[in-house]
Amino acid sequence: MLTRDGVLEIIFRALNNLNDEMGPDDKFDVTPTTKLFGADATLDSLALVSVIVDVEGDVSSALDRSISLTDDRAMSQKISPFDDVQTLLNYIMELVNEA
Amino acid sequence: MANVTEAHGVLQGDYVTLRRMRVDDAAITFGWRQAERARMLNAGAANVEQQANWIAGRPASEYNYIIELNNGTPIGMLSLVGVDKTNRHAETGRFLIGEEEAAKGVPAAVEAMKLLYELAFDELKLVRVHGTVASENKLMLKWQKYLGMKEEGRLRQHYFIDGSWQDAVCLGLLEEEYRSVSLPRMAVLMKVGAKPA
Repeated sequence: MLTRDGVLEIIFRALNNLNDEMGPDDKFDVTPTTKLFGADATLDSLALVSVIVDVEGDVSSALDRSISLTDDRAMSQKISPFDDVQTLLNYIMELVNEA
Repeated sequence: MANVTEAHGVLQGDYVTLRRMRVDDAAITFGWRQAERARMLNAGAANVEQQANWIAGRPASEYNYIIELNNGTPIGMLSLVGVDKTNRHAETGRFLIGEEEAAKGVPAAVEAMKLLYELAFDELKLVRVHGTVASENKLMLKWQKYLGMKEEGRLRQHYFIDGSWQDAVCLGLLEEEYRSVSLPRMAVLMKVGAKPA
């Protein structure tokens, strides 16, 4: 079973992968409260896609079933899953906890 | 669909406008090309004058755009070139967001690409667009593939960037892939980007 800590690790790994691709001036701090996309965002859309692709892949592998972070359900959330690390973590845990 | 008509040299979206690049964009576009983020692009002009000459020398068949926020702030550039109306294909390229801070929190890159694809597939009635990305430009490769492009091959050691050789990854997008993959995913990214935090 994928735990909350396990999902957080996956998110951090995706953000660290992204940091590896960034130039020195664009690197950002990866913390549980890092803002992602939207107002006051850390990421632009190129960076967000990198995170989406990495996280979807790693979570799907860990669960042995495919999950999508950009389907209609994700888009209909009152709070965007991509506001910050916590909102993304909370949304993924919803998906994880579904049998 | 956004108001896409190229009749006046402008593609108007909800967040950004693509307008034709002009010679007086030489200084700002040259500056963007010198930035860290542009290091994965082909080597460009060596100075503003060369950049101006390059812009002035673009053939009328090329669609070279400046991406502007709808408040008029120029933030990047994007092109559709090599338009072949017989075989109905063209090449996308010269894609660069130069003003990253101004673009943050706005789905600017996504909408700019969407406007260009609408021009290609809806107005010019092309059946395919293609482009190349340097193999170490991993963010752009992920982004283009996520938005529907498929890897079609590699030109080995095609680019000499930052002192080393890189392959050119050849990417292509067919009209049906644009409609079934690109448009829905672009809509999602624009919706995410448009949501207030």
